[in-house]
Amino acid sequence: MNTSTMLTKFESKSSRAKGIAFHPKRPWILVSLHSSTIQLWDYRMGTLIDRFEEHDGPVRGIDFHKTQPLFVSGGDDYKIKVWSYQTRRCLFTLNGHLDYVRTVFFHHELPWIISSSDDQTIRIWNWQNRSLICTMTGHNHYTMCAQFHPKEDLVVSASLDQSVRVWDISGLRKKHSAPTSMTFEDQIARQAQNQADMFGNTDAVVKFVLEGHDRGVNWVSFHPTLPLIVSAGDDRLVKLWRMSETKAWEVDTCRGHFQNASAALFHPHQDLILSVGEDKTIRVWDLNKRSSVQSFKRENDRFWVIAAHPEINLFAAGHDNGVMVFKLERERPASALHQNQLFYITKEKHVRSYDFTKNVESPSMLSLKKLGPAGVPPRSMSYNPAERSILVTSPGDNGIYELINLPRDASGAVEPSNTMRGQGNAAVFVARNRFAVFNSSTSQIDIKDLSNSTTKTIKPPHGTSDMVFGGTGCLLLIAPTMVYLYDIQQKKQLAELAVTGVKYVVWSTDGLHAALLSKHNVTVVDKSLKQVSTLHETIRIKSACWDDAGVLLYSTLNHIKYTLMNGDNGIVRTLEQTVYLVRVKGRSVYCLDRAAKPKVLTIDPTEYRFKLALVKRHYDEMLNIIKNSSLVGQSIISYLQKKGYPEIALQFVQDPQTRFELAVECGNLDVAVEMAKQLDRPQLWQRLTNEALAHGNHQVVEMTYQKLRSFDKLSFLYLATGDQEKLQRMAKIADHRGDMISRYQNSLYLGDVQNRIEMFKELDQYPLAYLTAKANGLDDQCQEILEACGMAEDQVKLPNAGAPSAPPKAIAPTFKANWPTRATGASSFEKAMLAEGDETAAPDANGYGEDDLLAEEPERNGHLEEAEDDDAAAGWDMGDDVAAETEEDFVNVESTEAGPGSSEADLWTRNSPLAADHAAGGSFDTAMNLLSRQIGAVNFQPLEERFMEIYQATRTFLPGNSGMPPLVNYVRRTLTETDSRKVLPLIPRDLESVQSGELTAGKNAMKANKLEDGVVAFKKVLHLLMVNAVSSQAQAQEAQAAIKLAAQYVLAMSIELERRKSTGKETDISSFSDDIKKRSLELSAYFTVPAMEPQHQTLALFSAMNFANKNKQLGSALGFANALIERGTNAKFKETARKIKAVCERSPNDALDIEFDTFGEFDICGASYTPIYAGETSFACPFDGIKYQTRYKGTVCRVCEVCAIGAPSSGLRLTI
Amino acid sequence: MDPFSSDGELVHIHTAFTQSQYPTVLSDFDPSSFSANNKLPVQVLQYRAQCALGQYDDVISSISDSDAKSTPDLAAVRVYASFLQSSARGSDGSDALAEAERIAAGNKDNLSVQLLVGTILARSGSPENALELLIRHQGSLDAVALIIQIHLSQNRMDLAVKEAKSARSFAQDALLVNLAESWIGMRKGGEEYQKAFYVFEELAQSPSSSSAATLVSQAVSELHMGRVEEAETALNSALAMEPENSAALANKLVLDTILGRDTEDAKMKLEAADAQNEMLDDFKAKREAFQAAMGKYSPKFEP
Repeated sequence: MNTSTMLTKFESKSSRAKGIAFHPKRPWILVSLHSSTIQLWDYRMGTLIDRFEEHDGPVRGIDFHKTQPLFVSGGDDYKIKVWSYQTRRCLFTLNGHLDYVRTVFFHHELPWIISSSDDQTIRIWNWQNRSLICTMTGHNHYTMCAQFHPKEDLVVSASLDQSVRVWDISGLRKKHSAPTSMTFEDQIARQAQNQADMFGNTDAVVKFVLEGHDRGVNWVSFHPTLPLIVSAGDDRLVKLWRMSETKAWEVDTCRGHFQNASAALFHPHQDLILSVGEDKTIRVWDLNKRSSVQSFKRENDRFWVIAAHPEINLFAAGHDNGVMVFKLERERPASALHQNQLFYITKEKHVRSYDFTKNVESPSMLSLKKLGPAGVPPRSMSYNPAERSILVTSPGDNGIYELINLPRDASGAVEPSNTMRGQGNAAVFVARNRFAVFNSSTSQIDIKDLSNSTTKTIKPPHGTSDMVFGGTGCLLLIAPTMVYLYDIQQKKQLAELAVTGVKYVVWSTDGLHAALLSKHNVTVVDKSLKQVSTLHETIRIKSACWDDAGVLLYSTLNHIKYTLMNGDNGIVRTLEQTVYLVRVKGRSVYCLDRAAKPKVLTIDPTEYRFKLALVKRHYDEMLNIIKNSSLVGQSIISYLQKKGYPEIALQFVQDPQTRFELAVECGNLDVAVEMAKQLDRPQLWQRLTNEALAHGNHQVVEMTYQKLRSFDKLSFLYLATGDQEKLQRMAKIADHRGDMISRYQNSLYLGDVQNRIEMFKELDQYPLAYLTAKANGLDDQCQEILEACGMAEDQVKLPNAGAPSAPPKAIAPTFKANWPTRATGASSFEKAMLAEGDETAAPDANGYGEDDLLAEEPERNGHLEEAEDDDAAAGWDMGDDVAAETEEDFVNVESTEAGPGSSEADLWTRNSPLAADHAAGGSFDTAMNLLSRQIGAVNFQPLEERFMEIYQATRTFLPGNSGMPPLVNYVRRTLTETDSRKVLPLIPRDLESVQSGELTAGKNAMKANKLEDGVVAFKKVLHLLMVNAVSSQAQAQEAQAAIKLAAQYVLAMSIELERRKSTGKETDISSFSDDIKKRSLELSAYFTVPAMEPQHQTLALFSAMNFANKNKQLGSALGFANALIERGTNAKFKETARKIKAVCERSPNDALDIEFDTFGEFDICGASYTPIYAGETSFACPFDGIKYQTRYKGTVCRVCEVCAIGAPSSGLRLTI
Repeated sequence: MDPFSSDGELVHIHTAFTQSQYPTVLSDFDPSSFSANNKLPVQVLQYRAQCALGQYDDVISSISDSDAKSTPDLAAVRVYASFLQSSARGSDGSDALAEAERIAAGNKDNLSVQLLVGTILARSGSPENALELLIRHQGSLDAVALIIQIHLSQNRMDLAVKEAKSARSFAQDALLVNLAESWIGMRKGGEEYQKAFYVFEELAQSPSSSSAATLVSQAVSELHMGRVEEAETALNSALAMEPENSAALANKLVLDTILGRDTEDAKMKLEAADAQNEMLDDFKAKREAFQAAMGKYSPKFEP
């Protein structure tokens, strides 16, 4: 019997485990403990997912529901609890048992739970309606176990009454399944059932009672497909039972346990029985031979329970100190790789091959059925391409190997012929015609030829447990904590390496490197077994293969990962199921799955290729990757930075802050300067200063000090670099700034005694001034000072000052150039990038590289441009006045920036000759000035509102930052214009609105005879148009016409109002004096003169005609009537006119002689309302054109009320 | 991590503050629910929100002398509140200004100090000093926005643009950057009006970010694009939200002027709501300027 090691996958430590259940899909097990806890483990990750503690006392029974997120538990508190593992709580409790509950199981399809209890009953519960639906009595001692049959309506139970019972529960199913067709017979049958139910024995009836155990029976289970039952009892026996429709009988007994057998079950797929017992063993029995196949013993822990995974090859056993999850056989298919061919052994033990070039699987070539016992797959395979033979080992029968020739053509699973076999745990080809066989029992390695005869024997180092290929003529010998490299020829050990628990070794294609895989570690070694790198994985490592470029890809339970020689690793992709990698080619990874089926997985190798190229400094390749993939991201930048390639990371980054950091890190000052300029923050300048100082790049330092306005530091820098000229300039700047200390400092640096003396004098520090002069031997100065102080020389007592010290003179002109440094810049990567750029002749190859090449000119000088320009101009040392100017330049950073700019309002006044635009700009005086020049405006009072209105309409208030006043914005009429030289303000009340508004209102007032209103409206028109802007010349003319028209209306209305002032609305004025009559008649006549629109003139004529007619002025009346007939627009008026004309023509004479010539051409003076005949001298308002008698020259126009009559003018501008 | 970044704890309150949703800032956020580090910034934001709502006394009284002494942030808040209070009362707030300068002198690198004292300095006619203080910020968008506003108020669009550009380079699409760019856009005009409008409109029309201030911004951008009716709608909804909002009233006055309506009523309302409104002051000053300019001419009325 083989007590080989168990393939343990997971072990937990806890108190005694009494119940176990596998989740059907997820890698979970539930373990119920004697301590009342239920644990939920992820056995793949080895993590405890959850704990459920509600039972009082030991929990013995546990089961997952097959499909729902539920599980059930039963404990010594007599309770059955149903839980949800999603909500993590107990959903409900089924009460009823009167003693410990031993086992609980879900039905595979019905909502039922079966439980067995020490109260000697078996109960079936419906968990949906939470009711007890059946109590099965019959056992007369504790029932230890009860399970549903996986397919039929059967239950099997085991009891300490030494019996196993099989129950038929088809009655129960019928009763609880939904009624389908209810025939009369059915109803009768149902009734009968119900009847029988009263006695409680037709739902579940005992079918068989199996007796054979001599003691109590602890466990019983059905076979998943066959009519078999296995039971385990305190008589230390595992019994196999068979049943038919009518009877059941004992088939055989498996003897071996030497203590109580706790549980037993059938292997879900293979003909095996597994049992566990208090003798601390797990035993595997051949179902057909009932012989022990395997056993595993635990040192101290008695086993209590065993469970099988329903789908995959996994079992779990609970013992005194926890649970172990294990598998019975290896699932790793044995395989061997040769060039483009993979040879592998399938689950059926057939040898097949797979061609990577064609991606096709061959038919079976051989069947290895006879190699090793059933259910024990071959462990390894080695391929000999020269002989086209394979060497297969199997762990069965204490390890055997077989040397088999592969057939030329794959023609089906034939039994191999001419095979040679022998004892051995490991066997590999070591040469074309030699192979090595390791035998662990004898602890010896035999080198054999192809006829299987030993040519050499090697004694491997002590503790060797495995042997693999170790390079040509060599073997790698694996011991639990060591690996040895052994030379077969020399029969000696070449090297050794302490690596624990190596299980597999994978050689790279070029044979230079090997990966040693152990459970959680990958160790990469070279061919002389020197460790190159090692890494640890928390998840179990399953397999590995080498990329052609020397990257190792390895698979864990759930990932494919990569590692470079330098130990860098990362995830390539996730895996849904475990696979065994065999080869990687481009983006494809070839692997075998657990069913030994070849698979191809697609991966993205960009990341590791990039990293590899980086390590190998294959910059061209990196460049290629960068160009052709979307690799560049935050992670790669931080990777590069972390790995010490800031200069390369720099190439990827756009963000100025990051670029600055990287540039500083890799000492690329040019880029750093560029970025600092862009960001312009004091902190950055400060850092740049420090960095540049460290580089000895004082030109950058100078610039940063200028930026930081660190005058003192700047002075000191000039002192240090010996730049006298600039020092002098600093002195001037200090002077200009009025900073005495700085001035003093600079003069000290400059050795400028005179300046110091002057300064002391300025500060009234005469003693110090004297001392300075004295110390420097400037006696005449001393004398001056003394005189100024009114003291004599003998009054001053001086300490011995010693010889004056002058500052040392600079010997080397350091300031002219930076410290010479080794050419930084163009790293080889940048060169690669540059080369690339040259090829494609792309000017944008990238800025950085170009900078480096062209560094000499623009970069070196760049920062100093202004300063050196100044030098060229040599302006600043020519005298004081100039110095002040250059000083502005020198500290240009702030001086050009400071101070407000001109607002848009200012721009408007600059951009426009229109008074309105100036008013909008708030420049009222220039607006007035313009009006004055254009139209001789002098009285602005009437325009105040208009000005304010324009001003007011052009400023909006945009809420900005909290606490700040709103931002003032300027409303434009040039909506699409952004050129600051062309923007113009919005002017409210454009021509159109004036025409449709006031102008119309005025005319309406005329029509309605509300002349006062009319005058106001027309004057408003005049004022609105006086300060306005229009978009075109045509519009400007239209506006002018409107102005003239409005003026005429104003005049006309004013005349009529004047008339009404004296005579009111009386039409008969005979009661008035002749003067008034005359004036009234005149005004009435003048009313018809201004050029109003015809319909309004008609009104005037009509009114004048009637007025004249009424007052016996028939001559005038006739004139008006004629005019009315000629020009009138109203038929009714014309009719009246004709009548009057008829009357008047009889005696066309005026009663009073008035100054009105119907036929004469004349205007009416806007002030005196008297006629101004053609040819007579008069003056007009430059704006509205109303004429005035000469005496009114220089006074304000009565119509527009703004302009001076007869003032010189250039004409109103309304358009640009 | 920057607590103001998109997944930071402060992002919501800060966004609300930026959107001028001051009542939200005060009501929806409880300082005690923030982590210890962020309590102070939250407190400062809430105080500023109170100030924005005119509750100066509350702010001043809730910061004790000892608080102010130990925490420059709070000292800055207090002086900020008293400055705003005095300027609301029409005095020049020189005491507060002096105090602010004192605080700033000792805490040049404190962001709250930079922002609040910067605001005070900018408002009291020394924008250069404000900029000098603000320029020391370390990537604060609030500071950037304030700097941009100061530049704009000084008509230094070039500098504002530069600042916005560098802010965009490190803050991408942050709300404040968008706002600040829109402010600049409102100065640039042309297509930028439309862009700014989109930003303002999005804020104003989404119920979660709408506030009187955002509506006013939207209205202003519409005014500039000549869409007067739309602007009026937006302004009216802003006034419906906050009848006393001085910015809304001021812009309403502008709108009425553009439409040629009688503006006396609007002016009265504005005066009632905010007697110290800069606009009114400016108008008054302009009227005086008008009279002065007019005085240079001596019209003759009689021959």
